[in-house]
Amino acid sequence: MLRLIDIRKSYQVGPTAVDVLKGISLTVEKGELLSIIGPSGSGKSTLMNILGLLEQPSAGTYSVEDTRITYDDDRTLSSLRNKMIGFVFQQYNLLPRLTAVDNVGLPLIYRGISEKEITERSMEYIKKVEMQERFHHKPTELSGGQQQRIAIARALVGNPALILADEPTGALDTHTGQEIMSLFKRLNEEEGITIVVITHDPKIAAQCRRKVELRDGIITG
Amino acid sequence: MIIKANVKEALKSLITAKQRTILALIGIVIGIGSVIGMVSIGTVVQNEALKQFRDMGIDIVSVTKDYERQGSDEGFNIDHIYGLPGYSTLVKKVAPYIVSSTQYSYAGKDLYVELMGVDESFFDLNKLYIREGRLLSDLDRNRFFCIIGAETAEMLQKAGIKDIIGRHFLFGERIYTVVGILKSLPEGGGMRPSGINRGAITHITTAMRAFTTRDITTFMARVGTQDSKAVKAVIENYFSKKAGGLRIRVRTAEELIAQMQKQMQLFTLLLGAIGSIALIVGGIGVMNVMLISVTERRKEIGIRRALGAQRTDIEAQFIIESVTLCFVGGIIGIILGVIISYVFSHFSKWEFLISQSAIILGFCVATAVGVFFGYYPARSASRLDPAAALRE
Ligand SMILES: Nc1ncnc2c1ncn2[C@@H]1O[C@H](COP(=O)(O)OP(=O)(O)O)[C@@H](O)[C@H]1O
Ligand SMILES: [Mg+2]
Repeated sequence: MLRLIDIRKSYQVGPTAVDVLKGISLTVEKGELLSIIGPSGSGKSTLMNILGLLEQPSAGTYSVEDTRITYDDDRTLSSLRNKMIGFVFQQYNLLPRLTAVDNVGLPLIYRGISEKEITERSMEYIKKVEMQERFHHKPTELSGGQQQRIAIARALVGNPALILADEPTGALDTHTGQEIMSLFKRLNEEEGITIVVITHDPKIAAQCRRKVELRDGIITG
Repeated sequence: MIIKANVKEALKSLITAKQRTILALIGIVIGIGSVIGMVSIGTVVQNEALKQFRDMGIDIVSVTKDYERQGSDEGFNIDHIYGLPGYSTLVKKVAPYIVSSTQYSYAGKDLYVELMGVDESFFDLNKLYIREGRLLSDLDRNRFFCIIGAETAEMLQKAGIKDIIGRHFLFGERIYTVVGILKSLPEGGGMRPSGINRGAITHITTAMRAFTTRDITTFMARVGTQDSKAVKAVIENYFSKKAGGLRIRVRTAEELIAQMQKQMQLFTLLLGAIGSIALIVGGIGVMNVMLISVTERRKEIGIRRALGAQRTDIEAQFIIESVTLCFVGGIIGIILGVIISYVFSHFSKWEFLISQSAIILGFCVATAVGVFFGYYPARSASRLDPAAALRE
């Protein structure tokens, strides 16, 4: 489904170029539950941003469903993010002023769906992550694990084929983290959603069917 | 529903980020307020000015002895004036009048009433109507009858004088009997002689016998054409034949309207300048508020982009927010402007009008300011690198 060929990414910091990704080639098949593990600073988030079409690689080619991404049209990239990809972040990244239902509905407002339908679908997905008791709570009124569940509902609401999760358990205690992982596994098994989990925790990585190790910008295993 | 959510967001930021937002809005309020005030007062003034012409028609001219070129020599000969309609068919009717500058009294009290001498056509040309009693006619020639203006009647009533009609008043050395009270007239305008409300009127023949100054310096005429140049030429021609040395000035309705419009333009320009400056200041304030809002919400922008917002969605979001802010300022400004023009017309004793076009203009200006000054912040928001924004 996703194919990276010799992807490189470097940032210009002052006069020097910092190479963060140094030639990544990786294929993600449909229905996979894949973990990318590596120490802090190894380039995991950068890789996820590239996979999520939030960043353009400095070199290499990236194809989604056998179509090469050209990065020249914001409309296409945004639409792909909106329809095909669901993001889950370490810091949840919910909008603090919105209720759970409104947060979950965010991806749908960029699709021109009616307000009523957005609310209905948001509630449906909040039920799916077992948070129906908290429809109208603001993020600050929820625990970390609860916020992450809402964030997962938001990632799922647009019915994407792919979920990209950047250290989704990083801010949670072991028990809550395990609950989130179980949720991912269930979504992967029952609904066939392709999931890429980025982590630096070997216990989390061990629960995924496939593991990719990233070290200093290259895949080591 | 994107619009609805964004309007809500703008109102929230208005409520939460009180100080700087309110500061920015003050500029918008003053700007829109002065624009609306300007247009509304303009409408009121114009209505007031044109009222007289609607009333009297625009076929009236006023002919005055030209003091600047003439000095204090004698005025018009009344027979010359009455000869004018016979001389040219362009002049339909004439109404000479004479104003006395002496002070008058009643029962030992000074009343400061100005006495005018007019003839019957004067009432017709100036559209003067009687409220009580009767008008004067040319049958009142040389008789010591008078009619009084509405304010004079009020003044007398306040002084405790009842049953004014039929009473005798001492004007100068003569006793006049009041036969009628005029209806109140709107003030200002320039064509109708001023002070009729506060004056008294007798027949011109009576006045010429009684007054110490007998000079007729002005007469009014109804003309049969809109061509003010032709009217001027004919009247000037006539008087240079009849009274060679007499210099005159002819004022037509057209000229008066033009003059009024010129004054209005000046006024409009002044308030327009104030309004524009306030709008620019307010607009820059709004831009500042929006720039801060964009900076504070970088993360939000990154999140929205990750969830599928296009650049244009982000741009629209912030422009809607900026327009909403300006709209709130606009509404307050419109209310302020209407209040200003109400107070203005109240104290000028003018008929108050709400100008619909002014209100529409206010909303348009508010929207335009919102779009114009919101564009740059919105654009910079839409250009944010989502990956960088998310890393923060
Ligand atoms: N915009 C940027 N400019 C410069 N350096 C960056 C930028 N983004 C990331 N980096 C650097 O790239 C390296 C990898 O970052 P990241 O992908 O976040 O790693 P990880 O998620 O594995 O911790 C880090 O050293 C970081 O400082
Ligand atoms: Mg990271």
